Amino acid sequence: MTTGRHTKATNNTKAFVLFMLCFVVFVPFVLAFQSKPQRIISLVPALTEMLFAIGAGPQVVAVSSYDEYPSEVKGLPRVGALIDPDTERIIALKPDLVITYGSQVDLQSQMKRAGIASFDYRHGGLGHILVTMKELGARTGRTAEAEQAVAAIETRLAAVRASVAGKRRPRTLLVFSREPKTLRNMYVSGGRGFLHDMLEIAGGEDVFNDIDKESVQVSTETILARAPEVIIELRPEAIPAGPPMRDELASWGRLASVPAVRNRKVIFIAGHAVTVPGPRVAESVERMAKALHP
Amino acid sequence: MLSADHVSFRYAPGGPLVVDDVSARLAKGALVGILGPNGSGKTTLLRLLSGTRKPTAGRVLLGDQPLDRLSRRDIARRIAVVPQETELAFEYSALEIVLMGRHPHLGVFTVEGPEDLRIAREALASTGTDQLAERPFHELSGGEKQRVVIAAALAQSAALLLLDEPTASLDLGYQLEVSTLLQRLNQDDGVTMAISTHDLNLAASVCRELILMRDGRVLAAGPTNEVLTPENVRMLYDVEADVRIHGDTGHMTVVPVRRVTR
Amino acid sequence: MSIRRRIVTIVSLFALGAIAVVLWAPTVGSTSISLSRAFDTGIAWEDNVDAQIFFVARLPRVLSGALVGAALAAAGVVLQAMLRNPLATPFTLGVSSGGALGAMLAIAFGLEVGLMGVSSIPIASFAGSLVAIGIVYWLASSQKRGLSTNVLLLAGVTLNSFFSAVILFVQYMADFTESFRTVRWLMGDLDVGSYSPIIAALPFIVAAFAMFAILPRTLNLLTLGEDVAAARGVEVIRTQRLAFLSASLATGAAVSLGGPIGFIGIVVPHLVRLMVGSDHRVVLPASALFGAAFTVLCDLTARTIMAPLELPVGIITALIGGPFFLWLLVKKS
Repeated sequence: MTTGRHTKATNNTKAFVLFMLCFVVFVPFVLAFQSKPQRIISLVPALTEMLFAIGAGPQVVAVSSYDEYPSEVKGLPRVGALIDPDTERIIALKPDLVITYGSQVDLQSQMKRAGIASFDYRHGGLGHILVTMKELGARTGRTAEAEQAVAAIETRLAAVRASVAGKRRPRTLLVFSREPKTLRNMYVSGGRGFLHDMLEIAGGEDVFNDIDKESVQVSTETILARAPEVIIELRPEAIPAGPPMRDELASWGRLASVPAVRNRKVIFIAGHAVTVPGPRVAESVERMAKALHP
Repeated sequence: MLSADHVSFRYAPGGPLVVDDVSARLAKGALVGILGPNGSGKTTLLRLLSGTRKPTAGRVLLGDQPLDRLSRRDIARRIAVVPQETELAFEYSALEIVLMGRHPHLGVFTVEGPEDLRIAREALASTGTDQLAERPFHELSGGEKQRVVIAAALAQSAALLLLDEPTASLDLGYQLEVSTLLQRLNQDDGVTMAISTHDLNLAASVCRELILMRDGRVLAAGPTNEVLTPENVRMLYDVEADVRIHGDTGHMTVVPVRRVTR
Repeated sequence: MSIRRRIVTIVSLFALGAIAVVLWAPTVGSTSISLSRAFDTGIAWEDNVDAQIFFVARLPRVLSGALVGAALAAAGVVLQAMLRNPLATPFTLGVSSGGALGAMLAIAFGLEVGLMGVSSIPIASFAGSLVAIGIVYWLASSQKRGLSTNVLLLAGVTLNSFFSAVILFVQYMADFTESFRTVRWLMGDLDVGSYSPIIAALPFIVAAFAMFAILPRTLNLLTLGEDVAAARGVEVIRTQRLAFLSASLATGAAVSLGGPIGFIGIVVPHLVRLMVGSDHRVVLPASALFGAAFTVLCDLTARTIMAPLELPVGIITALIGGPFFLWLLVKKS
């Protein structure tokens, strides 16, 4: 019977088409589900913060020795850091995504051999922080959350830019490291890098803008010659008031001709957040702006 | 003048006795040879006599004073040592080396004066090396070096001179020169000397007295013509030798003939 | 020319040179300043940038450089004579690695023990040097015959290796910034920015030089060998002890002030000996003076050659020292 054969053929074709449809429609879902990493290990504290900011926090199973924020990382296992990543431990924790420093080439090749995906982070300016957050979003299947988080930061940064627009930009020395109680071995922000970018947004003019380096070791003579109007010192922990604060200010007191010293504009900004190029950068910029333009 | 009274010495506790119960006397004006094979303890005895090592038993007397009671400076004013070899770590001229001999006579901050310079130049002259005064020491020949070192010891203006193998590394010509020099210093200038050597003929020709040493002990001591006998030579060196007086010079000579076993 | 006159003349010439350098160096720098303004007492201190650059930035720097250079060069001369080896340096006997370890620990653990305007790092460094001196001295004098130079050398080399290993360990355990700061400290830094560290190091360096003052002629005699020197009237053990302690004290103080700046302790004595001969009565003071001038000039180069950036002074001394020895080697062969 022609109708019966025709029907059978049609039925076969239909089944085939349905099968292909399923394959085409469902497999991407499956693949997409598989590409969403469930066990992430992060060796870079800044990127750990980013992961939590975009909602991938629950997937983080281990962090570096230096991770402190957010508080959820405190109970997590530690796998070393830039110089001493504990490859064995990393592999034993069975991650499906490991976030490494760009320079950790040995670790990256080991991850490749073990069949573990890695995300290699390279340091950059402030804009790079936002780019990295979006990249992490794509990598962890949280594009929307990442976009949201980045937008929030950008809004806050724009607000700061607006608040300082038109105001005079004081020439600022941004110090992020020095020996306690003296001015020796001082490292300050140069003409590029995320610290420099933060200063720019916050309405300050980096007094070492002309030096195309992220960090510059400055001598006493150079500070005196550049005569900054404001000095901002970034410290991991706040200095207690009283004699310790007096001693630290006294170190600057020796450079009496520096306008920042004369006008008592030596400002300490404390907290680990200020030196981490991560999602809390907006908060750091706000604090800097408040210090420069109270 | 200088005497060792039953001295013994070992380098390390529990080690062998390098010098074993040795007594010796160096009278004023004497020219004594300390003769023996290598390892007989002669150099060590010389060190004990000069005070650079302390005996583990017995004592050394300078005049009537024990050596360990005197300061190095006091000793250096009366005893001068000529070492076997001189290796300099830095470059000095011959005159500078000789001037260093004036050290025991100078105070801490005293610089050598004209008198010291005169003594130094005289010392160089008496060893026939005055024309080498400004030359760098390391450029001199073996014989010249040795004579400069003797001059340095002379510059100490010490009455006693102790020499350790003074001719060991010298050519025959220089050996003769140095022997003649030593004799002249002893006889004309009255310098008391003790020479440690393994060179039989040097000892025979130059020294009036001998101390024969073997294995750290004194085998025999006394005037050369009495002590330098074939029997003693055999006991000292295990060598049968012919000992006789050389006609022209009047010196004793020793000619080895054959080895003997003990 | 009498010996005394020769010594005085040569040392005076070196002194004039050193004074000239020390007077000239603070007037030069990466920033141009007006000397008349700097010395104008009519201008208030807070307003006088030129005066501050001269008196706060440059002058302490030049004075530390002179002090460090004099101490290291003189220590080098004394140790080379005592060890009878022209290749000995003030760092051969382990003092500087002790100082380095002290500084490393202070940097890595963020010690905050400041005293009289001196921060914890120089104090920790000096303490480290004293520990190293004590260990080496104890090891070398446990022999019955006083201070054996062979054991001294061996103890120093051993201590250097051991402390270097510990330093590497500390650097590894420290976090990245501190690790970098420890590495930077090892390159030397004379920018003291105040007179307190200089005043703190001064008594030790002066004491060391007082001890140096009685050594020169005995150092000449030590050249001939210990036994010969003893026979010429030198109290060898006492001299070696004095030489070791004074040289180590000077080195420890210099390292705590400016870090372990290399090559001064070996290039300067060699150059001076090439110029004036080996009489230590000339070589010791001349080296101290030449070392002061040499270090100040190296620091001057370091702070002006790449302005506004600065090079560590240890790099300049190394860049001069390396080729110098190559030239010496070629000349001798």
